[in-house]
Amino acid sequence: MSQSIFELINELPTSGATVMSLKALDYIVPGEWQNISGFENMITLVTGESDQAMIQQIGERAITLYNDPAEGYQRAVWLYQTANSIGGKLGAAALANKIGESVSFLSFLEKITPKADKAQAIDFSIKVAAEIIAYAKINGIPGDGVAEFMGAVGDYGKESIMRLAALTCFDGLIPLGPDFLRKIEEFISGLVPTDLTSNPAFSAVSSMIPGGGADGQLGFVQQGFNSIKGWMGNFVSSKGITAEGVVGSLKNYIDIADDKLDYVAGFLDATTNYFDYTGVQTVGRRLIERAVAEI
Amino acid sequence: MTMTKYLFRTALLLCVLLLSLTACKKEDPRWSEADKKSKEAIEAKKQAQESGALPKPEEGGSFNKFFPKNEPGFEMIASQEKTGFAEYKLKKDGKDLAMIAISDVANNPQAADKFKSSTKMIGGFPAVDQGSTATAVLVGGRFQVKVLSRDASFTKANREAWLQKVNLAGLAAMK
Repeated sequence: MSQSIFELINELPTSGATVMSLKALDYIVPGEWQNISGFENMITLVTGESDQAMIQQIGERAITLYNDPAEGYQRAVWLYQTANSIGGKLGAAALANKIGESVSFLSFLEKITPKADKAQAIDFSIKVAAEIIAYAKINGIPGDGVAEFMGAVGDYGKESIMRLAALTCFDGLIPLGPDFLRKIEEFISGLVPTDLTSNPAFSAVSSMIPGGGADGQLGFVQQGFNSIKGWMGNFVSSKGITAEGVVGSLKNYIDIADDKLDYVAGFLDATTNYFDYTGVQTVGRRLIERAVAEI
Repeated sequence: MTMTKYLFRTALLLCVLLLSLTACKKEDPRWSEADKKSKEAIEAKKQAQESGALPKPEEGGSFNKFFPKNEPGFEMIASQEKTGFAEYKLKKDGKDLAMIAISDVANNPQAADKFKSSTKMIGGFPAVDQGSTATAVLVGGRFQVKVLSRDASFTKANREAWLQKVNLAGLAAMK
């Protein structure tokens, strides 16, 4: 195990490209995502507790739960980190998160190569698969029966709903256009197992994807996409999300000098790590919710 | 520049780099000690459960049937279900009011200690308040049932009332 949960949360950057890009999506899911800095702050924010002795107990229990590999929380963080760190990354995300408030699009432009649509479609569906698996690692399969479980999933909020909003916009709508769900569906339904095994994102997370082999794993990835596409299509239409609207909002935070959407997508892919960032926040929140209930 | 000077400067640069890296790594004394101790505690618990000195926690799913269901005007949403733990979120009009959790103290035996100084009973079981947001009962010495306020409007009296909506007697019989 590399880092403890308190270190992961303490080290979440409070400025830089990832934070700015998430702020830009606040208009889609108002108030849900917060730029929480520090483990103690997160405990207070999640529980509403200000009693220091209680905060200490909650934090210690959360750390213990995270450190126990059998509990699954570490695997969830690994999934969020791994599914985020491949595909088009230029090693620029770390830099972009360090250079402060102002992130220049032009300074990255020459390094950006837009991803081919098929590769983007595969990366998108692997993030969906990672989200589904991480959900089960973090929360178990809560409730008695399918209806209760669907109610649990439907209650996505805070950083989890922001992650899905960012997946929708940054990995779907901006790189692939308004009919991104149809495009992804076409690519995904036409995949053969070797398309997956030759994809770096898939190779990195494949040990965690159920299915007992590439054939079964492809089935899991396809089912995962099918399970989310209805929700996502409704999310886009009910909130009136457009690529132009998202880019317009991004321009309030990031110096984007270009409206070519595939370059904006490449820039976001190279400089942000929203999946990892919000994933760590989700795991932290759930650990704290459980810890305060168990102490 | 002579070789010695070059080596010296390189070494100096390395030292500065290493120092700045160490400075960047945020030490957090409040949690570092707990982090170290937790690893020993996890191992000790595992061994105690394997040897039978500590009971193995019940499956979280076995607690679902004891949570209040179908309370008019309220929504109960399943939130987490892990070994020895199940938690529901209580909502009204789309707003989070509280969390209700059942946990097996076999997962965290010292959680039972606070009930030794309990001065009140709820539903026939020893009860305690914790911090400013939590009220809990210990059922059959084994299962902790806790209600946690998530909104200022959800008071201690509300927590006590909702604890009694949990099927505490059923849970006690499960032991």
